[in-house]
Amino acid sequence: MAPYDDWNALEEEEEELQDASMFDTKRDVILFCIDCSESMLEPYDDPKYEDVKTCHLFTALEAAMQIQKKKIIVGPNDSVGIMLFNTTRRSETNRSEGSEIKKNTFLFQPISPLSAPKIQELIQLLDAAREDLDELRKTFPPLITGRVPMGDVFTSCNWIIRDGAPKTASKRVFLITDEDDPHSNVGSKQLTISARTTLIDLTQAGVTVEPFFISAGEKGFNASKFYSSILLPTDLEDEEELQKDASILPESISISRIEDLLSQMRFHEVPKRAQFSVPFQLADGFTIGIKGYGLVTEQKKGTYKYFADVDNELKVATSRTIYAEEGNQKEVDKTKIVYGPDLGMGASKPEVGAADDDEDNDEEITGGFGARVVKAGQRPFFTAEDIRSFRTLGLEPGIKLLGFKDRAELQLEDNVKHSQFIYPDEMSYSGSKRTFSALLKSMIEKGKIGIALCLTRRNASPVFCALLPQEEKGEASDWDDPAGFHLIQLPFADDIRAAAIEESMRTSKEMKTAALAWIDKLTMKKGTYEPDSFPNPALAYHNEQLQASAFREEYDPDSFEDLTEPKVDAMHKRAGKLMKDWKIALTEDPSINVVVPATGQKRKATNQDVALGEAEIRSMCDNGTLAKLRVDQLKDFLKSKGESVSGKKADLVDRASDWFGSH
Amino acid sequence: MPTERAGYTVTMFLIDVSSSMGNIRAVEVENADKSSRTIEMTNLEWSLQYVKLKIQEMIFNGRKTDQCGVIIFGSEGIRSLQHLLCLVLKPEADTNNRLNTTNDGYESVVEYIPIAQPNARTLAKIDALQASNTSGDPIDALIVGIDSQTRYLGNKKWTRKIVIVTDGESPIEVEDWEATVEKMDELGVTLTVVGVDFDDNELPYTEPNKSNIKSVNENFYKELTSAMQSGVVGTCAYAIREATAPEVKIVKSTLVGTQLRIGDIDARSDEAIELPVKMSKCTALARPKTWKKFTLMQKTKTGENQMEVDEPEANFDPDKPAVYSQVKMKTEYVVEPEEDEDEDKETVKSEDIDGDVKMKQENDDDTVNLLDGKPAATQLPSKESATYIDKEDLIRGFKYGSTYAPCPDGQFPKLQTHKGIDVISFFPAKTFRRELAMGELSYVWADPNRPVEQVALSSIVQAMHERRLMAIGRLVTRDDMDPKMGVLAPIMFDGVDCLLWIPAPFADDVRKYTFASLDKLVNKKGEILTKHPYLPTQEQLEAMDKFVDAMDLMDAGEKTEYGDRYPWFDTRESYNPAIHRVKQAMFHCAVVKDIVEYPVPPPHPETIKYFDPPKRVLKRARDAVEEFPKKVAKAKREDYARVAEDEDDEMLLLDRKQPASSRTQSQMNIVQGESSSSAHAKVGAAKAKEGSETEDDDDEEEMLLDKKKTPPAAPASSSRDPLPTPARSLSPQIDAGRAPGRIIGNTYPLKDFKKNIARGDLVTKAVEDLAAVITEVVMKPFATRRTDEMLECMSFLRGTCLVEDEIDAWNAFIRDLKEKCLTKPGNPHFWEKIQGVGRELSLINKQEAKKQGGDSDVTENEAVEFIS
Repeated sequence: MAPYDDWNALEEEEEELQDASMFDTKRDVILFCIDCSESMLEPYDDPKYEDVKTCHLFTALEAAMQIQKKKIIVGPNDSVGIMLFNTTRRSETNRSEGSEIKKNTFLFQPISPLSAPKIQELIQLLDAAREDLDELRKTFPPLITGRVPMGDVFTSCNWIIRDGAPKTASKRVFLITDEDDPHSNVGSKQLTISARTTLIDLTQAGVTVEPFFISAGEKGFNASKFYSSILLPTDLEDEEELQKDASILPESISISRIEDLLSQMRFHEVPKRAQFSVPFQLADGFTIGIKGYGLVTEQKKGTYKYFADVDNELKVATSRTIYAEEGNQKEVDKTKIVYGPDLGMGASKPEVGAADDDEDNDEEITGGFGARVVKAGQRPFFTAEDIRSFRTLGLEPGIKLLGFKDRAELQLEDNVKHSQFIYPDEMSYSGSKRTFSALLKSMIEKGKIGIALCLTRRNASPVFCALLPQEEKGEASDWDDPAGFHLIQLPFADDIRAAAIEESMRTSKEMKTAALAWIDKLTMKKGTYEPDSFPNPALAYHNEQLQASAFREEYDPDSFEDLTEPKVDAMHKRAGKLMKDWKIALTEDPSINVVVPATGQKRKATNQDVALGEAEIRSMCDNGTLAKLRVDQLKDFLKSKGESVSGKKADLVDRASDWFGSH
Repeated sequence: MPTERAGYTVTMFLIDVSSSMGNIRAVEVENADKSSRTIEMTNLEWSLQYVKLKIQEMIFNGRKTDQCGVIIFGSEGIRSLQHLLCLVLKPEADTNNRLNTTNDGYESVVEYIPIAQPNARTLAKIDALQASNTSGDPIDALIVGIDSQTRYLGNKKWTRKIVIVTDGESPIEVEDWEATVEKMDELGVTLTVVGVDFDDNELPYTEPNKSNIKSVNENFYKELTSAMQSGVVGTCAYAIREATAPEVKIVKSTLVGTQLRIGDIDARSDEAIELPVKMSKCTALARPKTWKKFTLMQKTKTGENQMEVDEPEANFDPDKPAVYSQVKMKTEYVVEPEEDEDEDKETVKSEDIDGDVKMKQENDDDTVNLLDGKPAATQLPSKESATYIDKEDLIRGFKYGSTYAPCPDGQFPKLQTHKGIDVISFFPAKTFRRELAMGELSYVWADPNRPVEQVALSSIVQAMHERRLMAIGRLVTRDDMDPKMGVLAPIMFDGVDCLLWIPAPFADDVRKYTFASLDKLVNKKGEILTKHPYLPTQEQLEAMDKFVDAMDLMDAGEKTEYGDRYPWFDTRESYNPAIHRVKQAMFHCAVVKDIVEYPVPPPHPETIKYFDPPKRVLKRARDAVEEFPKKVAKAKREDYARVAEDEDDEMLLLDRKQPASSRTQSQMNIVQGESSSSAHAKVGAAKAKEGSETEDDDDEEEMLLDKKKTPPAAPASSSRDPLPTPARSLSPQIDAGRAPGRIIGNTYPLKDFKKNIARGDLVTKAVEDLAAVITEVVMKPFATRRTDEMLECMSFLRGTCLVEDEIDAWNAFIRDLKEKCLTKPGNPHFWEKIQGVGRELSLINKQEAKKQGGDSDVTENEAVEFIS
């Protein structure tokens, strides 16, 4: 239950804002453990490129490279290594200072923090293999006779991780193989037992094995032949379940198409970390355990760091916050800080002469610098602990069910924040899974949502959330909809803004029909909002430049493609004509003659002379006579184009001609 | 009255400092541990709390145009002193007092604080007020107040407010007040009279032994205010309470212009659509106001001259004031040394010393130390070897793994984008996954001044609505800003059509974690399991269905005009508890001098009204809840038998130590109980797995509990968790004389009952059982010995029934008891005793029930008749 403890140990001082980022401070270590046997090297036609051969090993290494590239941006402090097995290549002498690893396993990249050279090394190898596939065979000669015992593979993994990975990191082995029965020959029983023992050793060292089984080809992959008898449940937290409950098959990923390897790895690229683990109280005296995950969280650009040139070497500078007394600049111990409200305008300025002194001088404000004066022994301010209790209202972290409502009660407007996802945690309360499951089923069947009071972290504030049940869908190995509740934070009265406009003109039937015509053409009948179709262009643009900078390459901005831009060609092809019709219908609409009565007193009636048309202004722009327009005319025009209307007349003229320049 | 603008207000506080305001009163304050105690203060101090809360609100909002002035009346010596003070402070202040210096009729009235934007200093001055030895006339003060306000504002159209704070014990010259009213109405003044211990029907409060003069004055104030266009009288207790009620700060969203684009407006402008639109926020997260940091000022030695009052820093005397100053934050940049052997030694050393010092500080670091004014122990920079760098000398850059990529601008060239919303396509609205909505929402409106565009947008909105579509959009808020994805949903209000912009995630924002299936469990042989402790049984599913039905909130709210009910919980009435609690605390510490002595009162009920499910629902769900844990845990019972036992021990322990706390505080306490229960359950569960509990463990836990001292109100009930413990929900003592199936014993019925009620569960059962026990005891021979006890039981039972909406149960019980007492063999003597108590033990009538939100079909006449 490490995540729970972590979260408990959090410093409470900083305010709510720090959010989920703190969970990213934990480092992640991945060791790619790739099978290098004959069958992995077997060439076949590349499905993507014509006349190009590829092999499973190539795909696996390429996936590893892609994951490295991705990880280096998401978690620059993470470490990755690559080990190959079933190869005769031997590790060069003491390449890593750690222990010698088992025979027929080869450490290609020891576990070390991600870096540009490391990725470039892999890219070079892949480029060479793209030219000539035999390059891989040369670099990693396969073991021709027999196979290396899986026990040895796990032992090597264990040693490599022990030597290279920081203690506190989350450690994982991505096992990639296409052999479902490595020990089919004599002595297999012995080898199976040793594989299991070494795997348990590995697990006890805090390492999780995430298997990717390639079942491409006619051979298929039958996990029950060998792996199901040795693999352990993947969830670290379920470790204790091991002895008690060995009846359930662990999750493993079986890939029928090698091309899916990368996308499957993507799901596992970020280790699954709970954001909170709290009790879920269904009723007084009836509580289960749940864990919360952030399935939808804004991925931001990394923040820049400060570097300093120290002795001709670039070093990271860390920032520290220091508290000092106002006025005398004396540093203040953090534990001596008390909290109070803003004292108001002018309260911190010293009053001339401090002449309030009368008999009651113990009640004055003096001291000059935002001071408040009370009798000795009195304290008009709060401690940090008080402050926290005001934010939490004395509640302890937890989710408390308040009742159920119809699904339709959850409006689209009831949104202020991204959702979270909760899933039962059997380890904190036994019976959690079945209770959770029963609740979920009942709510789905009745079309209900839950309303709950939630305090998910010790230093947060209580909020009301809707519990939106999600039914389990899809095959077990595929990522689809897992069973659980989406926790949707409801806005408070304080968060809701009134509609800014209450009245306006509405459409005629004709206009609506005209709109329907082109809207129908632009509708994906079976579509939905699919996040996967929209990679963040600004983020990708940033990361590509960052990578180029780290690789010391020139970046070509023209090579960038923004996938979120509307596909205007297709749109015009399908609906262009109808959109034009709609626009024409609009010019014939009676509303064109309606004049909105000016509400502001500033505008004089005489100003309503002629509203200049766009074409007219454009011609003035072309003639360079824009400056002849009055300021209010310029402003009207700019306003209609959604441009800013601030600045002097010259600014407005510039802005207007800029607009014509770009349109 | 003209519509009120925020700010643009001058409030005059007219404060009565007559001698009677110096009378001592007892005020109940609540401690941090929820217990309450009584402290004494003068009426003046008490009523000034209201004034200070109001002024703090002005400070809190920080508006320059929200100003106030303070005038005191009934003062004597202060006048000359204040006058002198004004001369010293601001010579021109003297002219402000023109009215009372020139006119002897107003000698008891003093302009104490001139009109200005208030700050903490204003509050401190108010704190210095003391009652005088004379008395003053509020009407004089009112005239001075109006005069000052008018002189200050001149012709400005500001809101004018006057607040009189008085105990109404001083004589008022009630002639010619009509002229004053006329003047106030003319100026548009709003008058509020806040009276100490004035009678109030709503609170409700009636002062016993009210003096004659006070009731005359109270009536006068009522007459005065009702004669005005806007005047009001209120009692001080109510005013103080309402000053802390949550109030939503209304923010008007600004309209931000942008474009709605469909198609390629650059190259194919004849076809492409571009509509100028306005966006305004629909939801925006409000946050609590931030706290400022303060510290007790460190004092410097200056020898013997501490007698000089004018030198505040010169005192070392414990009687001298404690000065708090604001703390400023600054940021330093350091390069930590490499882990180099040479340097390391020194670093470690200094760290050690520093560590020690810190430890000591922390050890005696409690509130006392916080106040003792000792200079904080020497603060060394924690690592001497670290290099401090000027911010100007730093270079910005990014980390690419262990590689550095310098980037002096702090960002790479940005993607070129063009302001506006591009529509990408439309899709059926029902396929949108609600959980993808990412953040604060905005409305998209047509320009309010452009009718054509209004029609244009309306046609799109209505078309989308008709086809039940949403649109995918790409929003750029300003040229070259990073684009955001979102969906646009059509919204048709009564008078206007618009779109709702809902931010949606990019591919990068979605995490596809895998979760084990809750339904499909596969064993090692590849078979799918149908029975397993992770899978709910049919019985459990049914129990859950019952629970979900019982906890339905759709009919649990207020009654509608047609008699059915609204759903319970409305976002528009759910106040952010943190915002309002923080505000309350800020106000509180601005108006008291010591928060240890005067802790913050509990949160206003409105802030926490949605913290517990409605009573109606809880009651309905009681059966389902009681049944459910048993059923869920059935399959696991054996495995967890030991856990159950452990928990029993704990419960005993807690029961012994913690007297049941009173019902009214359960709201907050339940939650504490929850936390401790979760801890117990975890400990318990962990133990069961190890299968090696020892006595030591229990001891340890006991110590733990001792140390924690959390007083859970409902430890027994909440530590039950998913375990099968029908017997344990009873008190573990067996000698309570309990009949089988009853939770109330015949031996100590009231004690048992109170315990159950305090725990808050099984109320229906407890009521039923106590009623049965009372009837049993009364019908037994020698019942007279327990008559008083039974009457006490009944009185408590009736009270509980009223509050817990068990009114029918009471009425049935008392009718039944009457019948049994009066028919043979019976106990007519006991019924006489009940009649002796009278109305208090009769049927619960309609009016009584209504007050508690319940219902009864008994009229008052019936109730009276029943008992006579």
